[in-house]
Amino acid sequence: MKKTAYVMMMGVMLTFLYACANTNSVARVHPEEVKGLPRCAECHTDQWTALSHQTQDFYLKHKIYAAQQRDVCNTCHKESFCVRCHAHKEEIKPSDKYKDRPELSLPHRGDYLSRHRVEGRINPASCLKCHGRQNNERCKTCHK
Amino acid sequence: MKIKDKKTTPAPPGTLKAVGSILLACALVICGQQTADATEVNGNSETILRMREGVLGGDLFPLYEYLNLSVSDTAGPGAISLEIGGWGRVDLGDRSFDHRTEGDIQYGYLSYRSNRNNFTLNAGRQWVVEGVGTERLDGLYLRSDLMAGFTAAAYVGTPAVTQPNFDGGDLIYGGRLAHSMPKYYSVGVSALRTEVNGDGIREEEGIDLWLHPMAMVDVTGRSTYNSLTRGWMEHAYTASFTPMESLRLSASLQNVHYDDYFYQVTTSALSLTNGLILPGEEMWNAGGSIGYSATKNIGLSAEYNHYEYDLAGGADYYGVAGNFSTATGLAAGASFHRMDGSTDRLRYNQYRAWVTQKFGPADLTLDFFDVDFDGSINGRENTFSLAGAAGYDFSRNLRVAADIDYIRSADFDNELRGLVRVSYAFGFGKEGR
Repeated sequence: MKKTAYVMMMGVMLTFLYACANTNSVARVHPEEVKGLPRCAECHTDQWTALSHQTQDFYLKHKIYAAQQRDVCNTCHKESFCVRCHAHKEEIKPSDKYKDRPELSLPHRGDYLSRHRVEGRINPASCLKCHGRQNNERCKTCHK
Repeated sequence: MKIKDKKTTPAPPGTLKAVGSILLACALVICGQQTADATEVNGNSETILRMREGVLGGDLFPLYEYLNLSVSDTAGPGAISLEIGGWGRVDLGDRSFDHRTEGDIQYGYLSYRSNRNNFTLNAGRQWVVEGVGTERLDGLYLRSDLMAGFTAAAYVGTPAVTQPNFDGGDLIYGGRLAHSMPKYYSVGVSALRTEVNGDGIREEEGIDLWLHPMAMVDVTGRSTYNSLTRGWMEHAYTASFTPMESLRLSASLQNVHYDDYFYQVTTSALSLTNGLILPGEEMWNAGGSIGYSATKNIGLSAEYNHYEYDLAGGADYYGVAGNFSTATGLAAGASFHRMDGSTDRLRYNQYRAWVTQKFGPADLTLDFFDVDFDGSINGRENTFSLAGAAGYDFSRNLRVAADIDYIRSADFDNELRGLVRVSYAFGFGKEGR
């Protein structure tokens, strides 16, 4: 009985909070077509200036932007864009699939099989998000 | 390249059928809409033929089809969309893997997004990124703005994990509550829990933040706590300072406790029991980078990272990179990086140079990647790959690209790989890429 009351109260409270939010949703599609790696500051003077893709640390920071407001990413990128790198199960490295896009920051370029022995020892934490729980079936070939 | 005990998370009985039925029904409803102006259908197909040698000899010719489809209807007070993406493979030559055919549904979900309050409801296989949660799951996701700058998100489902070694769980749920002042900051608290038969195998909580106190300063980061091991998994923060549009300075700090961070994975490659991930290890990584755009077409950067460990010896990673482009369709780049670990086995120099030139609808690319190890790997100290690629845009929607990659690695003396990719975009509407 108590639990039911709590759930009902929570529902009423959330409904009230939602109804009072009254914000406009982020645009589903970016109003201007953007080609190449965007420099958001060319048009924006608001918080979106932080999303300029050409900065040297964007690749490092994009995970936080995505984790906070992925709707903003979705104005230009569909889900199919993200899974090129963030795959559930994949057999082709992105850098192998898109050899004709050398300017992109695609992971594991070149002979990474040799290099992963070093980088896996230096910072294995960087491997976990993509290979800790998915996209890891090939690991078992060597890592029994 | 044999994988004998391939397992994926079993869904609760009837779940997949139910989700599939819902998605199919909704797809039919959406496709059946007569609101032509408000209905958008977009998709892309990538057909890829790879040609390479097998480790045990024999030539491999796996043929892949990657298909992504998005159907949306924006006639109402929001948008209903169906997003599906996956791939399939068949081996045309020798068997390259255990099974002659293989495939995967990367994502497949039905989404409703309101025009107000950023209200989003997704059902199906999806990739949820909310604070400490970076999870692929088969289930439900709900997100909305609340009053006074608050935002809430919640998700529940079955983890869509691959588990070659350890169980990934049968139930996952979590959420995030955040407060934002759009121009200045966004701070969130989040949590997730994964269960197997009711027992928790992952319990993580954390905070994530984005601070933008002034136009030239941007700070991002997160801290994650493991409730089961009662220790901090990770602290990772990056601060950027942009005194002028052409110059950006960045500093980052990361701290990882291995016992807490690698507590529950599904692969032995990253488990605390494999002898590679040292139990009790703690890592500090402090680094910085400078990016300078000399002109709109010339970019230069330098970076430095120092790694310090409790148990292992430290390491440094540093390098420089530059790239330029011209209005005539020429672009090029070069970089040098040095990994300076505590032993010869952990030291290498890495060189890269690439150039690409457009000729109207055609383009040519050369990419050279060389690594010089201080110690030898399988008796080899130098590995490199030299790739040549060519592409042709037959139209805005159809592109054919091919590449040849010559590799000398620790595993192959002279390996030649080839790939042909036919990309086709179809549909109508103006949705994203």
